[in-house]
Amino acid sequence: MLNTNYVVEMKDIKKSFGSVHAVKNGQFTLRKGEIHSLIGENGAGKSTMMKMLYGMYPFDAGEVKINGKAYESINPKSAIEAGVGMVHQEFMLVNELTVLENIILGFEPKKGLTIDFDAARKMAQQYIDQYDMDVQLDKKISQISVGEAQRVEIIKILARGAEIIILDEPTAVLTPQEARRLFEILNNLKEDGKSIVFISHKLNEVMEISDRISCMRQGQYTGTVNKTETSPAELTKMMIGREVFLNIEKKTAHQGDVVLEVKDVWTSGEKEISKIRGISFDVKAGEIVGIAGIDGNGQSELIEAIAGLRKVEKGNVILDGTDITNKTVKQIREAGLTHIPEDRNTRGLNRAFTIGENLVEVELDKAPIKKGGIINKTAIAERAEEMIKKFDIRPADGQLPTSSLSGGNAQKVVVAREVNLGGKLLIASQPTRGVDIGAIESIRSILQDVKEKGLGVLLVSAELEEIMSLSDRIIVMHEGKITGRMKADEADEERLGLLMMGGHNAEEKGEHHE
Amino acid sequence: MELGKIFNSSLIYATFRSATPIIYAALCAAITQQADILNIGTEGIMLIGAFMAVAVSYLTGSWILGVLVAMVSGLVLAMVMAVGNIKFKSDICAIGMGINMFALAITKFLLNAWLGQSGTFMSPEIKSIPKVHIPGLSSIPVIGDIFNDWYITEWLVIVLIIVLWFVFYKTVWGLRLRAVGRMPLAAQTAGINVNAMKYQAIAISGLVGGLAGAHLSLGYSTMFVENMTSSRGFMGVAAMYFGGAHPVFTTIGCLVFGFTDSVGARLQANGVPSQLVLLMPYVVTIVVLAISMATKMSAEKKRKSSLVTH
Repeated sequence: MLNTNYVVEMKDIKKSFGSVHAVKNGQFTLRKGEIHSLIGENGAGKSTMMKMLYGMYPFDAGEVKINGKAYESINPKSAIEAGVGMVHQEFMLVNELTVLENIILGFEPKKGLTIDFDAARKMAQQYIDQYDMDVQLDKKISQISVGEAQRVEIIKILARGAEIIILDEPTAVLTPQEARRLFEILNNLKEDGKSIVFISHKLNEVMEISDRISCMRQGQYTGTVNKTETSPAELTKMMIGREVFLNIEKKTAHQGDVVLEVKDVWTSGEKEISKIRGISFDVKAGEIVGIAGIDGNGQSELIEAIAGLRKVEKGNVILDGTDITNKTVKQIREAGLTHIPEDRNTRGLNRAFTIGENLVEVELDKAPIKKGGIINKTAIAERAEEMIKKFDIRPADGQLPTSSLSGGNAQKVVVAREVNLGGKLLIASQPTRGVDIGAIESIRSILQDVKEKGLGVLLVSAELEEIMSLSDRIIVMHEGKITGRMKADEADEERLGLLMMGGHNAEEKGEHHE
Repeated sequence: MELGKIFNSSLIYATFRSATPIIYAALCAAITQQADILNIGTEGIMLIGAFMAVAVSYLTGSWILGVLVAMVSGLVLAMVMAVGNIKFKSDICAIGMGINMFALAITKFLLNAWLGQSGTFMSPEIKSIPKVHIPGLSSIPVIGDIFNDWYITEWLVIVLIIVLWFVFYKTVWGLRLRAVGRMPLAAQTAGINVNAMKYQAIAISGLVGGLAGAHLSLGYSTMFVENMTSSRGFMGVAAMYFGGAHPVFTTIGCLVFGFTDSVGARLQANGVPSQLVLLMPYVVTIVVLAISMATKMSAEKKRKSSLVTH
């Protein structure tokens, strides 16, 4: 396999975190001037592979060559010197500083005692013009969009002389329009002879942008193919190990009365586009209503407002006939709301507590968990054992801290606790984010069961495939407003995608045609 | 009570004079705050500085030596804090308070064991920081009264405010310091040594804190009194919060304290009970902090509200 064309060669790479083997057999090669996609499910080890190349994690075993030179170990500094740059999923930008200050941070041009901002501006402008990037140098990072921040990251990397550019799930935070612009930039970079690694699990994007595609599954390399010689079906098989992907049969339950009514709700937002300005919809018993939209368009704020975690500034939320607007979380839960929050590590779980304690956390003031004013440890252990069995949480030991669980099992603890409560309405916010394929399957079927039992389910997900395969009705959100409503069988990815970008016209047209 | 006796042109210098020790303390706190380190130990660093300045000036007859030793002792104390916080990951507020208690005890002990005094130490042999007398200036009516005969360290604080503003916002070091304070991970990926920056900031803060003490005991007064800082360090930290660690805005906060202090002294001379007057700086601290926090919170709430369009 000696080929001088390779700018990166990674061979037989191994990497463990404690007892977890994140990468068992990693193989990767990158040719000069190609876009090489690395695909795989969440937790397949693709980000870990690239973080080792960028020197953020040391590799346990294997061989890494950059530009033909073998490296015993790599740190970010030596990676940068070797011409490797990485755009992380979480941007490494300082919000309070300007775009220009962020670009030059760490290698500032000097003029006497001061920073030479003129020279810096010239240098940055050169990249902006060369790749037609549309970046405002004097705005603070907190004032620009996610897409623009990503372009700032790319300029930062180019300015440091990167020839090998790694992008970790770059489109996860972008609108389809912004993604298209990113692809134009990447193609321009490729024409200039830069070599690009594109990490993704979205097959349509990978089929559009790549020259070659490598795949990983559960830490194992499963093969490399040329884009022109493959198909999404083949890639799916390489990713999952079987052909069909989560083909859960949608069940229709008997739909009952309205359980949740959201009437012209206005609520504050972390950003201008995530402020909720006048949203109304309802959820009936025995149905799943899915909210689709690109992350950060107000979905999180809307859910927080319904669940009592954010103040409703105008409008009403009615749960099963009770007005729960701006009630306390406890009152809202007593009215029958259960909630799988979008961030299991901060709101879903107490990571320092055990599995058992987390499973009973919402029932601490009720018998049998509370007995004569104190907590009944035996009752916790019994309940834990029962629920661990019922929801197949592994390892099956209620005494273990939740911090030792994998993403999928940690999420199952949250799901188990909330589903076990019963109630009237279940809010499931990004219920399968960052969990493995097995857990995705079981969480999705649990949501179906909840619906069949006659609860209303409000599902929020950034994964269109999840929304479409589970929901009975779909609501699309864009910049804090509803841009479309439809029955699930009227939905297709293209139509949803347009609405997620704010295409009201497309919506109307669609309705007339059908 | 005549208002004219309280509010006249000499109140301007009186305000600045009372504010100067607090400005030094506030700048000491502002330097570390830019790196997101709350220097609650400012009070203790300042107290040690005040003691060392007096002791060295008394023993050697040199005020310059006194000031320098005060700064070095501030540095040493600050480094204890830095190592504890950065290397051994202990909580910065806990160490800071420890430093404050240590400073109170050690100065009391050294005053007894070394200088053989208790409570207050005054001596004609303590050489104070000289004043700057500009001969022609005193003939100009109001200006002369206000600007003539300042202590060297009173002029120096103005220089320090400008220098720190320049360093924070115009130099490479300042940019890196602010990046470290706002998002250390980004600074680290940009190849900046985050811990080295924090050590440097704390070290410089220690030097300024020692100078704050030296000015208090060799300029503002010429003596050492147990616990003579009497919370000026904490007031400096409060002013730093008020000014968001920006040297100029922080100074404005300090001037509010200086003004209260000077007016208070004049009120006392006019028969207002001294207990009430002594209370004023602390009441003002609470009011200033409450106002600045309330303004920030309401601005934040307004920024996030859906009912307001931007």
